[in-house]
Amino acid sequence: MKEPTFHTRYRGYNVLDKWSSTDWDDQTRAVVRRRLEEIPCIRFFTSEETELLEAVAERIVPQPDRGQAEKIPIVPWIDEKLYEDKRDGYRYEEMPPQQEAWRFGLRGINETAHALFEKEFVDLDPLSQDVVLTHVERGDPPGAAWKLLPASRFFKDVLCITIVKIYYAHPLAWNEIGYNGPSSPRGHVRKWQGGVDPWEAH
Amino acid sequence: MRDLSQEEADFCIVGAGAGGGVLGAKLAEAGFSVVLIDAGPHWNPVKDFVSDELGSRKLFWTDERITGGDNPVELGSNNSGQGVGGSTVHYSMVAMRAHPKDFLRRTIEGEIQEADITDWPLKFEDLEPYYEEVEEALQIAGPTFYPWGRRRKRYPQREHELNAPAEVLVRGCSKLGIPVAAAPIATLSAPHKDRPPCVYRGFCNYGCTTNAKSSILVTYIPRAIASGAEVRANSMVAQVEHNERGLVTGVLYFRKGSRELHRQRAKNVVIAGYAVETPRLLLNSASSLFPDGLANSSGLVGKYFMVHTGEQAFAKFPQRVNQYKAPPPGGAITEHFNDTMPDTDFICGYSIEVVGPHPVDFAARLTTARKMWGADVRRTMLDYNYYSGLGIVGEVLPQMTNMVKLHKTERDQYGLPVAHVIFSHHENDKKMVAHAKGKMREILEAAGGEDVWTADRTAHLLGTCRMGSDPTTSVVNADCRSHDIPNLFICDGSVFPTSTGVNPSLTIEAIAARAADRVSDAGFFARPL
Repeated sequence: MKEPTFHTRYRGYNVLDKWSSTDWDDQTRAVVRRRLEEIPCIRFFTSEETELLEAVAERIVPQPDRGQAEKIPIVPWIDEKLYEDKRDGYRYEEMPPQQEAWRFGLRGINETAHALFEKEFVDLDPLSQDVVLTHVERGDPPGAAWKLLPASRFFKDVLCITIVKIYYAHPLAWNEIGYNGPSSPRGHVRKWQGGVDPWEAH
Repeated sequence: MRDLSQEEADFCIVGAGAGGGVLGAKLAEAGFSVVLIDAGPHWNPVKDFVSDELGSRKLFWTDERITGGDNPVELGSNNSGQGVGGSTVHYSMVAMRAHPKDFLRRTIEGEIQEADITDWPLKFEDLEPYYEEVEEALQIAGPTFYPWGRRRKRYPQREHELNAPAEVLVRGCSKLGIPVAAAPIATLSAPHKDRPPCVYRGFCNYGCTTNAKSSILVTYIPRAIASGAEVRANSMVAQVEHNERGLVTGVLYFRKGSRELHRQRAKNVVIAGYAVETPRLLLNSASSLFPDGLANSSGLVGKYFMVHTGEQAFAKFPQRVNQYKAPPPGGAITEHFNDTMPDTDFICGYSIEVVGPHPVDFAARLTTARKMWGADVRRTMLDYNYYSGLGIVGEVLPQMTNMVKLHKTERDQYGLPVAHVIFSHHENDKKMVAHAKGKMREILEAAGGEDVWTADRTAHLLGTCRMGSDPTTSVVNADCRSHDIPNLFICDGSVFPTSTGVNPSLTIEAIAARAADRVSDAGFFARPL
């Protein structure tokens, strides 16, 4: 499979160049510094689950353009959320509590991989991995774990949304889409269509 | 700040948001001793609020709630706050009056199958002076002439300069001949007292760090404290207590992180926790005298739960929009479709407003609404700055089967049963949503947008303790006083009998401002009964 490419419109834009500017206040720097420098260690998932979720996350938001060390970390933040059991404020009534949901879901993805390809998910090529995930997305994948967990709900409202949110909370993602990032207290002047303040991405 | 923890307060108000904050400030100013208790912190916006989407989750009610029904409502983020100021800390500040017809929907529409539309026990004229009072207090910035609703005097502050998504709405509407106006917004466009005007950071939904935003936290709460009220943060009320005569005597609450119960005595108790926590607390306060929960002789506490349909539509434009900067201030609005229309097969209507989600929120919508994942997400997000969005506030009809009840097994960190929220759309809601999606698409395309897509969404939490004149069909009267217990009040979005097609904060605040005057006038009720 040909690796997809992602060409940013904003070459050379680095939101972190504004770190010391009036766009960033102390409390925001503290939050983003932690996101960049204090990646939590894995405390909730087993090593097998971690490896599996890494592979899944790479299909949900692929980062083929980055080496392993440069990738935006996804799994450690999911692990922290589950280890500390930080909730979202709601849970669909057909879903188990989040810790169980993630455990069942990962087990289910692997079971589906075995049912379809007789292999571990992590040993599949990306195309086959996408086939597995598409079965999960459509809601009736093979695998015993899916008796405990509605597959399509898990896929869309738990798995994908969580991964995507973590990805787009990272300054590297902000760079590629030209997001201004923090803006306190400076704010903006040119609010109109086509208007770009000097400190916004060019 | 005063400490009322060992005293019997005249009023103990549970929840310091749009309802409780306004009521508490006015009662304190009227000379009553008031303690406002809130489950969340008392933030200092300048130091505590963060210019970051995920870094701001602390502003939301993230304790577990179970959501179900045919159209389960997403809770926790945009519709639920936790902390002094409530969800006004992260609301979109669109400051709308309901219209005279909104208070008379039953009279106008007649009986509608599978919905219990009622007239309000208030008329628009009862609330009109209070709308004006609250608009003045919040210094609403709005257009010189607002084309919908009853004629009004000028807004206290001039309108904000239109932002890019508003330009899109105005351009699209103008092409189609749809009237459109600058939105009235509870954010300063000029300095007011010690607060500066908005600098358009665009992080309104994550807390305003400059205090330009007229949240309850920076408007009514300081007034309450200045008049001797106590604001007790980080305190989760577990139960409302009553005596053998069936009058309430105060509340029991937990300090955050502790399982030890504290008692606050009070001559009157006001519940103002919004349409999920308010019925939850009333139901959790069941006793041998009130086995179905407090104020629930009608059986309607928790019933008629409503939201607003909040569908959004996005389109890609050739010019940069940079949707992260600005909305809501500088937003535009059309209420052209906000009433029953002769050529449609549904009743009531909706407002169309502008939205500007930041990347985390926008990408989340791509996954849930467009079912996007994989390379498609990253490719689409490369054009994030070129998308512009609209969103509606649409009236949903009240149905008894939509409700907040106590979950049978699930408990929160204090051991209290959590809320189980059930919501399914009425046929009328679905027809309205389809209409609104079509109109938003037309507007975006007329404005030059391409690749239009829509996202299902809801906003606001309403109903569950509806107001009315008949104790058998409502929970509180027009003054927010419960029919069953004369010294128990409910003052928040839960008292709405119908949902209206506009953002509810100003109406909640006007109801609270009026209730304060009514209670003050009847001052003897606040004294020992």
